[in-house]
Amino acid sequence: MIKARHLRLLLGAPAVVLIFVFMILPITNMVEMSFRVPGTVEPFGDDYTLMHYTRVFGDSFYWGILARSLLTAGSVALLCLIVSYPIAWHLSKASGLKAALLYALIASPLMTGVLVRNFGWMIVTALNGPLNETLIGLGIISQPLRLLFTQGLVIVALVHVFVPFMVLPINNALRNIPDNLVEASVSMGASRYRVFRDIILPLSFPGIQPGLILVYVLAVAAYVTPALLGGQMVTYMPTMIIAELTGTFRWPLGSALAIMLSLSTILVVGLFTMLTWRLMERARA
Amino acid sequence: MSGASTMFVQQRPVGLGFALLIVLLYVFLLVPLVTIVGASFTAGLMIEFPPRGFSLQWYREFFGRRDLVDGLLLSLRVGAITAIVTTIVATMAALCGQALSGRKGGWFQLAMTLPLLVPELLTAVGLLFFLFKIGLGKTVLGLQMGHILMSFPYAYVSITAALRQVPSSLDEASASLGATHWQTFRMVTLPLIMPGVVMGAIFAFINSFDLYTISLLLKPLGGNTLPLALFDFLTYEFKPTAAAAATISIVLSVIGVALVQRLVGLQRAF
Repeated sequence: MIKARHLRLLLGAPAVVLIFVFMILPITNMVEMSFRVPGTVEPFGDDYTLMHYTRVFGDSFYWGILARSLLTAGSVALLCLIVSYPIAWHLSKASGLKAALLYALIASPLMTGVLVRNFGWMIVTALNGPLNETLIGLGIISQPLRLLFTQGLVIVALVHVFVPFMVLPINNALRNIPDNLVEASVSMGASRYRVFRDIILPLSFPGIQPGLILVYVLAVAAYVTPALLGGQMVTYMPTMIIAELTGTFRWPLGSALAIMLSLSTILVVGLFTMLTWRLMERARA
Repeated sequence: MSGASTMFVQQRPVGLGFALLIVLLYVFLLVPLVTIVGASFTAGLMIEFPPRGFSLQWYREFFGRRDLVDGLLLSLRVGAITAIVTTIVATMAALCGQALSGRKGGWFQLAMTLPLLVPELLTAVGLLFFLFKIGLGKTVLGLQMGHILMSFPYAYVSITAALRQVPSSLDEASASLGATHWQTFRMVTLPLIMPGVVMGAIFAFINSFDLYTISLLLKPLGGNTLPLALFDFLTYEFKPTAAAAATISIVLSVIGVALVQRLVGLQRAF
C-alpha cells in the first residue's frame, strides 16, 4: 500500500519540475538580473551592482510612472466592482437554462484574447464609430469625441477585460447567502436598502475582496491594453519594462523596474488585506 | 422632458431600473465582440460598424496574407501541442494532488496554480532571461515551454475538479477485484474524468491561442503568433482584414465555450 502511494506522488514529478524549472528559476533569474551591471555587447554584464535600484528608487520620473500604474489599477478594480456587482447579483438569482446562458455570456469574453477585445474598443470608439454616432444621434454631444489613445479608454478596456474575474467570485459568495436570512429581515420590516447594506453586502465581501485583489494585480501588470489603446503619449510600468527589455536591451534596468512594480503591488495588496481583515471576519461569523 | 422621465422612474418599482442597468451591462460586455464580427463582413474599404453591405472579401484577403496565415498556423500548432502536453502532465499531477491531504495538499495546489497567480509579465520577463541562459532564447521550443507553463493551471484545475467527483470506493472495489493500478486508471478513473480532461485541454488550447505578453518576449526568430501578427497589423495598416483575423479567433473560443457547456456545463466549470 505504501508503494502505491509513492507511485502516486511520483506522478506529480513532471508538473513540479515544470513549475520549478520554468517559473521559480526564471523569477530568481530576474531578481539576479536586476543586480547585474549594464552590458556593452550583451544586454547585461558580468559584475553585480546596486546602481539600478538607486537609480530607479531615486528618480521621480519612475515614481511618477509607478504612481500612474498603481492609481490606474486601483480605479480599474473599483470600477470593475461597480460594473460586476449587478451582473453577479443577476447571475446568482438565475437557474437552469437561463443560468447556463448567462454563464456562457460572461465566460465568452473571458475566452477571447485580450488583444481581440481591445481591438473591438478601437472600432467602437473611432471618430465615426458607433459610440460617437449614437451619442450624436441622441443629441448628447455635437462633435465626435476623440477617445482613442486616452487614459480613459485604457481604463474602460481594462475593466471590460477583468469583469469576469470579478463576477465569478462575487456570484459564488452571493449564492452562499441563505435565502431565509433575507426573508427573515424583510418580514421584520427591513427596507430593501437596509437588507442590501446590512446583510447582502457584508456577506458577499468574501467574494468582493479576492475579486478586487485579483483584478488589481492583473491590471497593474497588464501590458497589451496600454500598449494598444494608450498610444505613445502615456507610459505605464509594464510598457516601460517591455521597452527596456526589447527596445533598448537594458535587461538589468528592466528587471529592477519589474521588481519595483512587484514590491509596490505586494505592499498595496498587503495593506488592503490588513485593512479589510475585520470585514472578512464579520462575514465569516 | 427630464422632469417627466424622473417622475416615471420614481413611480416604477426598482425592478425596471435594475433590468435596464443589467441590459446595459451585458451590452457593455458584448459590444466589442459584436462590432468586430460585424466589421469583418463589410463590403467597404474601411473598418466600420455598422458594416457597409456584406462581403467575404476580407476573409479572402486574410488567407492571402502570408504573415497573418503563418501567425495563425504557428498559433494553432503551439496551441495543439500545449493542449496535449498540459493535459497529460496535469492529469498525472491531479492524481498526485488527490493523494496529498491537509496542509501538503494545499501547498501542492498553490504550486500548481502559480502561473495563474503571478502576473504574466513577471513570468515572461523571467523566462526571457532563463531561456537565453540555457540557449533556448528566440526558439519555437522556448515559446512552446512558456505556453505550456502558462496554460498548465487551467488543465490542472479542471481535471482536479473532475477527479474530486469520483468516489474513492470505486478505486478500492477495482483493486479488490484484482485490477492493477494502471487497469483501474484506464478502465475506471479515466472514463469518469474524461469530460474534465477534455475541458482542461480546451481551456489550455484557448489560453495558449490568446497569450500575448509572453509570446512577445519569447518570440522566436522570424516567427509570429496570430496575436503578435495582429498587433503589428493594427499598428501599421488598420484594415478590415484585422477584423476577419479577430473574428476567426472569436469563433474558436465560441466553439470552445459551446463544447465545455455540452460536456460539463459552464456552471461546474467555474
